[in-house]
Formats: sequence, structure tokens, C-alpha cells
Amino acid sequence: MFDATDFQPLLARRYTLEVRQQMAWYWQALVIALALIVGLLISAAILVAAGVPAGELLNEFVILTLFDNQSLRAVLFQAAPLIMVGLAGCLAFRARFWNLGLEGQMIWGAIGATAISLFEIGPPALRLPLMMACALVCGLLWALAPALLKLHLKVNEIISTLMLNYIALNFLLHLVYGSWKDPRDSFPYSPQYRVFERLPELLDGLSLAVVIAMLVALFVLWFTGVSRAGLYLRFVDNSPGVARAVGVPVTRVILGTVLLSGALAGLAGFMVTAGQEGRLTHSFYAGYGFSGILIAFLARNQPIAATVVALLVATLFVAGRSLQVFYQIPFSMVQLIQAILVICVASSEFFIRHRIRRIQGGQG
Amino acid sequence: MNMIASWIGNIPDFAVPFALAALGLIVIERSGVLALGAEGLMLVGALTGIGASLMTGGATVWALIIAMIAAAVVSQLFALMVLVMRINQVIAGLALVFFCQGLTGLLGTLMNWTNKPVSGLQSVSLWPLSELPVVGKLFVQNPVVYLTPIIFVLVVLVLNRSVTGLRLRAVGENPQAADAAGIPVLAYRCAAIAAGSALIGLAGAYISVLSTKMWIADMVGGRGWIAVALVIFARWAPWKALAGALLFGCIEALIPQMAASGIRLPQYFVFMTPYAVTLGVMIWVAIVSRDNSSQPGALGEPFIREERR
Repeated sequence: MFDATDFQPLLARRYTLEVRQQMAWYWQALVIALALIVGLLISAAILVAAGVPAGELLNEFVILTLFDNQSLRAVLFQAAPLIMVGLAGCLAFRARFWNLGLEGQMIWGAIGATAISLFEIGPPALRLPLMMACALVCGLLWALAPALLKLHLKVNEIISTLMLNYIALNFLLHLVYGSWKDPRDSFPYSPQYRVFERLPELLDGLSLAVVIAMLVALFVLWFTGVSRAGLYLRFVDNSPGVARAVGVPVTRVILGTVLLSGALAGLAGFMVTAGQEGRLTHSFYAGYGFSGILIAFLARNQPIAATVVALLVATLFVAGRSLQVFYQIPFSMVQLIQAILVICVASSEFFIRHRIRRIQGGQG
Repeated sequence: MNMIASWIGNIPDFAVPFALAALGLIVIERSGVLALGAEGLMLVGALTGIGASLMTGGATVWALIIAMIAAAVVSQLFALMVLVMRINQVIAGLALVFFCQGLTGLLGTLMNWTNKPVSGLQSVSLWPLSELPVVGKLFVQNPVVYLTPIIFVLVVLVLNRSVTGLRLRAVGENPQAADAAGIPVLAYRCAAIAAGSALIGLAGAYISVLSTKMWIADMVGGRGWIAVALVIFARWAPWKALAGALLFGCIEALIPQMAASGIRLPQYFVFMTPYAVTLGVMIWVAIVSRDNSSQPGALGEPFIREERR
């Protein structure tokens, strides 16, 4: 038999919004995939509006970047620092710390590594490990102040880390326009690293940076999933009060995790300077801080997922550069596309958490 | 003496963007919505202000109005995210900033609006105040500077002395109670976001159209974030925010003065000062006062009335 409501005109029907208990993981994955597709379609429409021929889009993004050996290498190479900042984001967010200071920590990591190269500290054989260690320590130290301020004085870390970014940036400019400027020309960058100070290629086209990024991803996976600190971290994330009551060292766990996040960002800074131009430049960090946060958000703070998302973002970076060269589309397009993807995926959670249902027999 | 006079004369020009942006943020946050997007909305205002000024051939007043409308329109994306989609307000605010940074960077280049000078507004002297020694230049400013205190008075009157303002604050303090009293919570929040964002857009347009008189990508340079911090120092009170904006105006106005005076200071360390001062004041406020009583009660919490029919 027919229900009476079936014959109501559409607008007279009444709907209700309900909070779902749980959604099966495959439905969740489907909703997120749909959100990504919507985001990519919007981005494609913007690209076409900006002057890229629609037919070229597929060619540019998919075929040229993924099926060409050289671009594939470029994507892998680009992915290494992105994996690092993505993992740094995952760690900080797991400690419920909004680390927007990834760029500042990258800048300090790169400055630290460059200092080792400029002042020729250590023998050539030890130079590269020394530079990496220095990058780690400098990034860690730049994250120390906002972490302590948040834990002891409850100073909002969003503002403090961002302010420290601007301070780090101005210090970088002071160096590359000042005493660290390459004496050979007038561009704002430091002298180039020597050959043994750069990350070598291990196999054909596989940079050491990629291997390090993979190892760090495994370490973070162990740290968050297996180690005692990771267990504490999940405890603190779920309920800081209970965690403190049963004797988990809450402050130390959060502090350690945030410092680790800063250290990884510092190493990412060194990877970018060593990998791209082999020297400190005035804008090497641009865009990585945002991408790190985006990767962590899209990966839901899971290290393995972050690695995969970082590869996708790296594809976007590489494709964005070729769009810049061939169609004069500014690199801000890459940031815009990333922002659109974040907005779409964040919005999709609404459909995961709620459902819209028609009220049975609801009569106006 | 001359240097001090010209420094004092420059203060309003630097203070107005902070003041307007902070006021806009207060309007939004008093309704219980945590607004981190000021940096992005200021960029939108700055770019559309220049764009409108260039396209209309120097109709500056219209350019400022268009900038306000543009920021209000873009802010509805944020409203959609936090009010309808119930996205975490921190994530939504950050996403808005990144979106606006990308969008304005892209449009500024594609429309070829970068580094194109615009005419701005003529300064108006308030005679006889403008003839005073030392502080005289405070009264030779563009009209928006004189308009700013008036905007503050109006907004404070609406917030504190009108039924609309009372309802807005009720929505920010206790949305459940406001809802039970029949106030449309989401509509008030949506309107607060639009109105506050228009003020933030005006702040951005002030920087580009009246102060710098051109568009450069990412030209707001963290002032939106400083405004967010300013609202926290000011405990969501408009007049305290105005005082804070004047403080930051004093500091920023010092930067070009120091370069002109010939004092040999490393330039980039001078550029750091506004950010370092922000950090310093945040630490100072955290040490001195521990009360959160003036913070809107429901700040950052989404309003969800389930079984909504």
C-alpha cells in the first residue's frame, strides 16, 4: 500500500537532520573520494577559466606527470620534504597542538645546515650528517618556545607560531641579503653547498631524501602506533584529565611530540635547500607550511596516509610548476587548489556525521 | 622635533587597519564564532579595492565599498563551513586564509593588478587643530581616519545599547538559551560574520588603496593575525582594541622613521618588531591576567540543535 506522505508535494514534505552513530569505513571512503572529485572538478574549472585549454588538463596533470619517467622522479623528489612536513603536522596535531610554525622551523633548519656548510665545521665525510643533525636541532629549538608558552602559560600557539614564522623569515632575509650573500653575484642567496654537502642519488634517480623520508615515516608510524609515548599520546588526546589522573606525564608527552614535529620540519627545510638549488634562498620555504597542515588534515594524522597524500600534493606541485612555465599561471594556483580540496573534504565530514531523513507522516 | 611630529602624523595611517580589523573580529566573535580568517579577508579587501579603483578609474569611495562587499561575500563561504557544515572553526578559519591567499595571489597576477599605482584619497586638514605644534599632523589625514572613531562609536552603540546587539551577545554567550528565547541563532551568526567581514575588508582596502596605494601579493603581511591577537589582549572590548591598535600603529609608524633618521639598525630586525611585540604582549597578558570571564561563553562551539524540524 502507498504511504500517505508519498503524495505530498515536494516542499510540503518535512526533513530532519540526524547525527549518525557510525558509518562503515567503505562508505566514509566513498564520501571522501566524492569530495575530492568535486574539489578537483572545481579546480579544473578554475584552471580552464584561467586560460588552460580543457583538453590539455588531463594531459598536463595525469599523463605528463605520472607516465613520464623524468617527471615521476621529480614528483618523488618533491614528495620527500612534503612527507616530512606532513609527518610534522601529524605529530603536532596528535598532541592537539596547532603547529602553524612549520615554515619558521623549516627556515631555522635550513639556516642551521647552511651555517655548518659556510663555516666548514667537521671533516667532509661527516659534513652531511652534521648538517642534517643541525637542521633537526634548529627546527626543534624553534618549536620549543611556543610549546613551553602553551603548556605553562596557555599562550595561544596558533598566533605564537605564526609570529615566530615572520620573525624567522626576517632573520632569513637578513642573512641572504646581508652577510651570507653569495659574493659572486647580487642575488639573495647563500653560496652553494659543496658536492659532498648535498643529498646524493642512491640509485638511478632515487635521492637519499626520498629514502630518509620513508624511514622517518616508518619511525613516526612506530612512534605513534607502537611506542609507549604513542600510547600516552592517544590517551592524552582522548582525555587529558583522566590521563593526568592515572599518572601519564601529560606535559612531557605533549612537549616531546611538539619538539619532534619541529625537528622534522627543520630537516624538511634542509631537504628543500639541499635538493632544489643547493643553497639558502629567500623564498625556498614558500607554501610548505600550509601543505604540511593540509597533508596532516587529509591523512587524519595517520603517518602512512600522510605519505600517500604527500605524493599527491607533490604531483600538484610539479604540475603547478609546468603550468607556470607553459601557461603563465602563477604558483598561487597550487595553494588555491589545495585550499579547495581541504574545504571540500572538511565539508564531506558533515555527510559522514549526519544524515537527512524524511519524517514519516509529518503533517505541516 | 620634526621627526617626532612626522612620526605622530603617521600613526593613524598604520593604526586604522588594525583598529578596523579588530573591530570586525569583535563583532564576529561576540556572536560566538571563532574568526581566524582576518588575514585572508583583509587580502580580499585589499585586492578588490585596488581592482575596483583601477577599473573605475579612481573612484576610491566606490572601491572601498566594493572591497567591503567582496569581503562580506567571501566570508559567507566561511559561514557555510562553520554554520551549515559545522566544520571545526579553527580548520575553517585556516582554510579560509589559505583559500584567500591563493585566490588573491592568482587574481592579482591574472588581472595584471600588481604594482599598479592608484590615486587614493586627498588628505583633509582639520583647521585649527592641524596648526598645533607637534601633534598638528594628526589632523591632516584621509577621511577614513576620521571615520574610524565614528564607526567605533556606532558599532559599540549597536553592540551594547540595542536589542540587536543584546541578542547578538546572547547568541555568543549561550546559544541554547538564546534559541529557547526565540532568537534565530544561525541567522544572527551569519549576519555577524558578514558585517564583521565587511569591516575587515575595509581594513584590507585601507592598506592597499589608501596607504600603500598599490597591490602586492600577500601585502597584508600578518596584520590580520596581529588583529586576532589584539582582540584577545583587548578581552573582546572595542575601546581596548582601539587602544591596542594605536599601540601597534605607533610601532609600525616607527619603522619608516628609523630608516629615514639614519640610525644604523639592521633593517630586517626592525621589520621583526611588530611580530615580536605581539608575542611579547601575549606572554605579558598570559602572566598578568588569568581570567577568561570576558571571553564570549560559546566562542568556538558550533550550535547544534538536534531534532531540528
